[in-house]
Amino acid sequence: MGTTLLGLIKQIRFPVFAVIMCLLFSQQSFAQEDIKITGSVTTAGQYAEPLPYITIIVKGTTRGTTTDFDGNFEITAPSNAILAFSYVGFKTKEVAVDGQSEINVQLEEDIAGLDEVVVTGYSTQDKKSITGAISTVSAEDLEKVHGGSTVSSGLAGKIPGVSFRMNDGRPGASASIQIRNMGTPLYVIDGIQQDEGQFNNISPNDIASISVLKDASAAIYGVRAANGVVVVTTKRGKRGTRNAVNVNAYVGWQNWSRFPETVNDSYEWMRGKAEAEINQFGSTAITQEELEKYRVGEEPGYQSFNWKDFIIQKNAPLSNINISASGGSENINYYLSATQLKQESVLGDEFTFERSNIQSNVDADITDRLKVGVQINGRIETRKNPGIPGADDYWLPRFAILRNRPFERPYANDNPEYLNDIGHNETNWALHNFEIGGYAEDIWRVLQTNFSGEYELPFIEGLKVKGMYSYYIADRVLNGHEYTYDAYTYHPEDDSYEATGGSSNPWRERRTRKVLRNIYQGQMQYKRKFGDHSLEALFMIERQEARFQEQWVHAVPKTNTLPLIYFSDTDAYDDLDDEEARIGYIGRISYNYRDKYYIEASARRDASWKFTPQKRVGYFPSISAGWRITEEPFIKDLLGDDSVLDNFKIRGSYGVLGDDDIGIGAFDYLTGYNYNQGVAILDGNAVIASRDKGQPITNISWFKSKITDIGADFYMFNSKLSGSVDYFYRKRTGLRGRKYDILIPNELGYGLPDENVNSDAQYGIEGALSYSGEIGEVSFSVSGNASLSRSKFLESYKPRFDNSYQRYRASGEDRYNTIFWGYTATGQFQSQEEIDNYPVDIDGRGNSTLLPGDIIYKDVNGDKRIDGYDETPIGYNNYNPLVNFGLSLYVAYKGIDFTADFSGASGYSWNQNWEQRWAYQNDGALNKIFLDRWHHADPLDPTSEWIPGKYPALRYNDGGHSNYNKNSTFWLHNVTYLRARTLEIGYSLPQNILDKIKIQKARVYVNGYNLFSLDNLKDFGVDPEISDDNGLQYPQNKFINVGVNLSI
Amino acid sequence: MKKYIYFLLIPMLIGSCTSDSEFLDREPTNILTQEQAFGSPDIVLSILADLYNRYYDFGTVESWPSLADFNVSFWSEAGQYGHFQDGGWGYGAWGTWDYGYIREMNLFLERLEASTSIDEVDKTRFLAEGRFLRASYYFTLVKRMGGVPLILESETYDFSGDATYLQHPRETEAAIYDFVISEADAIIADLPADTNIKSRATKGAVLAMKARAALYAGSIAKYGATTPQVSLSGGEIGIPAGRANEYYTTALNAAQAIINGDAGSYSLYNKKPDLSDNFASVFYDKSNNPEAIFVEDYKLQSGKVHGFTISNQPRYGAEEEEGGRINPSLNLVQSFETLEGEYKPLPVEDNAGNPIYYNDPKELFAGRDARLEGTVIVPGSNFKGREVDIWAGVQLADGTVVSGDARGQQKELPGATGQVQVVGFDGPIDGLEFTAQTGFYIRKYQDPKAGSGQRGTQSDVWFIRYRYAEVLLNAAEAAFELGQPEMAAGYLNEVRSRAGITTTLTAADVTFDKIVHERFVELAFEGLHFFDLKRWRLAHVVLDGTPIDEQNITTNIGSATKRITQPLGVWPYKYYNPGDANDGSYFYKIVKPNRVTGSDRFQLGNYYSEIGQDILNNNPLIVKNPNQ
Repeated sequence: MGTTLLGLIKQIRFPVFAVIMCLLFSQQSFAQEDIKITGSVTTAGQYAEPLPYITIIVKGTTRGTTTDFDGNFEITAPSNAILAFSYVGFKTKEVAVDGQSEINVQLEEDIAGLDEVVVTGYSTQDKKSITGAISTVSAEDLEKVHGGSTVSSGLAGKIPGVSFRMNDGRPGASASIQIRNMGTPLYVIDGIQQDEGQFNNISPNDIASISVLKDASAAIYGVRAANGVVVVTTKRGKRGTRNAVNVNAYVGWQNWSRFPETVNDSYEWMRGKAEAEINQFGSTAITQEELEKYRVGEEPGYQSFNWKDFIIQKNAPLSNINISASGGSENINYYLSATQLKQESVLGDEFTFERSNIQSNVDADITDRLKVGVQINGRIETRKNPGIPGADDYWLPRFAILRNRPFERPYANDNPEYLNDIGHNETNWALHNFEIGGYAEDIWRVLQTNFSGEYELPFIEGLKVKGMYSYYIADRVLNGHEYTYDAYTYHPEDDSYEATGGSSNPWRERRTRKVLRNIYQGQMQYKRKFGDHSLEALFMIERQEARFQEQWVHAVPKTNTLPLIYFSDTDAYDDLDDEEARIGYIGRISYNYRDKYYIEASARRDASWKFTPQKRVGYFPSISAGWRITEEPFIKDLLGDDSVLDNFKIRGSYGVLGDDDIGIGAFDYLTGYNYNQGVAILDGNAVIASRDKGQPITNISWFKSKITDIGADFYMFNSKLSGSVDYFYRKRTGLRGRKYDILIPNELGYGLPDENVNSDAQYGIEGALSYSGEIGEVSFSVSGNASLSRSKFLESYKPRFDNSYQRYRASGEDRYNTIFWGYTATGQFQSQEEIDNYPVDIDGRGNSTLLPGDIIYKDVNGDKRIDGYDETPIGYNNYNPLVNFGLSLYVAYKGIDFTADFSGASGYSWNQNWEQRWAYQNDGALNKIFLDRWHHADPLDPTSEWIPGKYPALRYNDGGHSNYNKNSTFWLHNVTYLRARTLEIGYSLPQNILDKIKIQKARVYVNGYNLFSLDNLKDFGVDPEISDDNGLQYPQNKFINVGVNLSI
Repeated sequence: MKKYIYFLLIPMLIGSCTSDSEFLDREPTNILTQEQAFGSPDIVLSILADLYNRYYDFGTVESWPSLADFNVSFWSEAGQYGHFQDGGWGYGAWGTWDYGYIREMNLFLERLEASTSIDEVDKTRFLAEGRFLRASYYFTLVKRMGGVPLILESETYDFSGDATYLQHPRETEAAIYDFVISEADAIIADLPADTNIKSRATKGAVLAMKARAALYAGSIAKYGATTPQVSLSGGEIGIPAGRANEYYTTALNAAQAIINGDAGSYSLYNKKPDLSDNFASVFYDKSNNPEAIFVEDYKLQSGKVHGFTISNQPRYGAEEEEGGRINPSLNLVQSFETLEGEYKPLPVEDNAGNPIYYNDPKELFAGRDARLEGTVIVPGSNFKGREVDIWAGVQLADGTVVSGDARGQQKELPGATGQVQVVGFDGPIDGLEFTAQTGFYIRKYQDPKAGSGQRGTQSDVWFIRYRYAEVLLNAAEAAFELGQPEMAAGYLNEVRSRAGITTTLTAADVTFDKIVHERFVELAFEGLHFFDLKRWRLAHVVLDGTPIDEQNITTNIGSATKRITQPLGVWPYKYYNPGDANDGSYFYKIVKPNRVTGSDRFQLGNYYSEIGQDILNNNPLIVKNPNQ
């Protein structure tokens, strides 16, 4: 554990202990006239095994205990009491005491978990009673994912309708998660709305479950829930269990999944350049003798150097250790956990991410009716790496691989004392280290505390009031310093080194940010069963406020050595202080009859500070219903007693959700002047400029998302097979747009303000299927899911088009979004003769720049020339896939378990561009893909015969050529992939050994993540989860991990 | 037990102790109300500062390519090569229609007029400054678009569903020029005659604007007759020839008012003995510079700095991995006369066609108009204390050239052992961006201060919008057009003698070509060349789309109609022939950079920029510009 974490614990120790102590001392015991009951709990079936840690509760009280190692228990209870035996993964069983002093119970495994508790909007529900589209991921699933440092990586392929896209794999990076491709979802952690960063950086070990609310069931979260909600619940101790200490630790090694390859051979590079120059200009200054020297590669300047091997280190380590303690007595339960993670980059051990997390969840009953809880979550995130020019310090090292040419070398005369002046020194990797380049350190310190209380009112049964106060503080400090440095040229004649380049520009910056957030929640809950009728009601008030303060200062220090920033060196200072505030009133009522018919209605009234006071409030109702038709007597009769269909539920939901993130600023409804709109130098003084805000936006309010979902869940063969299907349709109305039917002259000087006028839709289907079973001693489960989600623009307000072509090209009306427009490549010219006789002007220069191998484009409109009018839809312009799917397999035999998870996607395009499209971009390295190209048999003889290849004949850095300046089917690739996520094999020590070493559980495992992918982008050396056209993004890593789970 | 309930209620109480609307009302941290804004002169100045910042320049130090178009330079940045491979410009190029800016200036004038919190002295000056900026933008509009709707009051749409009352037709081109001139007359009394004020409107700035505007109007009236196609029947484009003299007279009078000291004592900058350094200093010496009249100013460590030096300083020895973008063309370089006032090509070869060898690469440029080296960094000259290293390769006795692909590359030469440098650290390497691909870099606006090439520091060299030398040239042109060549010769000689030219012009020497030439070399890279080509209707002549070769570039120097459709260069080579008398000397070759494959054609439709379809759609009274 890092000293910083200890420091943090010291800081918060006192108040936490104060609270805990206070709670402990308030415990009371209730001695009544009871009988003592003993017994044992075992598994059901032929080979009954004792079950330890089974929770036993005296129904209607808070009293309880757990079984010991051998499954035995002892409890005192009234003689007429009912005991409830429960444990995750087993069906809860209730047994009446009836005066017995010994009770032996067998628990059945609950394979499909109909009674599994699912966390939904501000509450929990049995799975069978859910009427919305809600899917969950369990802690067990998450714990098997060791594919990076953040929580998001655990969601790949797990949930139907959740798309996962990780287009950056650097230490500490997160994937982007979308629900049904609806946009960034809302994250709710333990009932509190949080941002994506907070979600990603809680310790995965501390998560008990993740629920994803995909439809109107999210409406209860109101504002900002229109893109769905990810609900995270952290672990809690169980009442009446013995204290358990768990240790989960692993260490792993990472390598890049893929990255573009360049030619690391000076001869190939130079030969290509000679070809390119002859192709372009008819001649080249590169002679056969020169080429020969490169081929031999011995003279200085003619050698080859492999920059990729120089930059990329293999097997970068990643380690994580989590220690947690949990348990509970009759009146208090606790979960305490600390996690330390460290991830290095393949760029070396100076590029790191470290995170320390603590989680402390304590719940206590002060009286029978009054419960309180405290949750504390804290973390320190540190990202550290050498200071490198540019906004993204990880960019230049990657760019260097594509930029640096093979005859360039990092050190002058290969002497590591002298950085070589390669003319573009910023991509000289030899400087990208703490010693020469400088440093950048970005630290976030976050503390989140929730205090909650719950009181059961004495006069109405089933009525509770609850209150929660949440305080969040995040503190960021970023310090960066890019040093000045010299780069040298070696003079062999006198064995001297001359400083001929480098940087005399130091860059020193500091950014500090503070986020303070208060959330207040007050609730009343009513829950009661009247015979066959169950009723639940909730009323709630929620206020949220946040404040963001940020300062950024930039300086040009005179020295590389001292870390402090002085006033006279500074030249920029930015200051920011923003607030936001939202209020929600929430009501919900749900009813079910005999667990057969379910209906739930909720409504939310939200107000956001962002809109003008007259337009602040929005109302967001939703309704959902479910019908378990297998509970109907006539269906039961129809199916008969031997029915394989155990449970079938039809459900539907409709809701209106709101969003205040409509693209306007917080005070756009005000008139006046914006201060600090740049600086003018007047009479030698810097004068801060102000600008008229323009027309106030007073007629904009919430846009509304109307989500419809129809689905069904089923369980068959004693719940061994289960599945669900959903159809959904989200229509958004009131999107920001403009009314164009009144033409306002531009000379007015302002346009009409935007209004809530446009609409769009997102719709699709999804389904999941899983089967679990046993063959002999082998137990296994297989599951899969798939989803399709597309978006369509519906309509704008009376759209106007100049002509029918413009309508075809520019209209979005009732048309799919994500259309990629481009040219259709019909082939490649096979000979100069074919070019000379070709009737269509392809390059706009009468085909004078074309050579055999060049791309032929389809002349769609038949005007004998290729221009913008020949573009048609050729693919998708989105990186978020329209189709997502996942597959999981789990097999266990005795102590050995094996897990294999796969995820995949389709329905998106990659546009091969820049370094991947034309050779020698930026005068840089030659991409290996261009080795397969049209070329002359003799590179220096333009009259020699053409030899065909895949890519057109080379040109030197000529992106303007018709081959390269058009997006076409030649360069656009529609991608489908299936990649292995987790592959894990584990071994648990058998009970007899555990007993000897006094350990409850011990398991070791070997785990691989992202080990391979099947897709159509392999040839380009790019990861299928690509977003950069040139493939330059930091790719995902492949991981090999070994780890251990211990319970003591 | 009830006491616990109170604990429970505490957080709810905290949350509800304010009303909902109080909770939702948050104060902005950077917005001033209109009353606050016009309640203090400091904030009025702050609003004015924004209006100054939005002043439209054709070229500016903040956008390096804009200063160096029309083949006076090659742009040594791979992403810009396309400009030298296409055939010219689209009709929409250089268009502007920023009525949002006009509206804000109108609002500024109206709100300031109505304010009772600003004293009259301040108010008068602020109002005059606002009107100066508004007139300046109408001048920009008329230069680029022709006549435009003249909106002098802020208007508001009433949401009645009928916006026809907001439709205004284009004024004539002459009417807009007349407006600029009349505004100048109206405000001049309200502005200070203080030559130390450079960044705000002064009497000098107003007069300089008036002189330039009247001169442009006069020349459009006169030379527009040569291109009758470039006009509209309603006068939105084109000025009647009969008004030429009136405008020229206005121009001459306004220029003479400055020359006579009516606006304070402006003069040519003459502080340094080295005339090239002296000329370069005009653009960066900000202390007591008598020549600058109106500038856009910058200041280090203020947030307002620019990266012109970063983008353009010689790449070798630059503070960063940057520089070298503007490469002035041979076409411009050889336009500079000899000190004797003669047009001569650069002495690259002798009469027999053999190369002339030089010990110092700079010798080729010796004896030229001092403005050459004040404007252009030539091979062998110094910048920031370091000699630029421009040479293209080593030529062996048999004519073979050994060169490299990387700046300052080393190779072995035949018959020698060990490697030697075979190309300059500044290139030129054909096609390699940021090297001097024409053989030259730009010097004008380069900031000689250490650190000016650092991204973290940048430069505070100002951008001069009006300067005294232009006023002299404006006066000379107006006088010439009014048939007073003697007066014109006097003004021209002032400018030329500052450049070190030893022969003086007589009345007989002053021709239209001479006027054109003098402006070309004096005002190169100042954003004025383009409007000169347009108002003389020369643009379609000198940019006629015909490529130029190495032969015809050296002839016809000094002619107003000399073709300049492509930028050419001249490269020094080192001669390698041990034992030969010329071994180690430099000689030059005229080249066309191989990235230059297109040649520019300025179409008649380019004279006035296209008015966008949306503008035409929104106001049916707007007529299109001709030839598009």
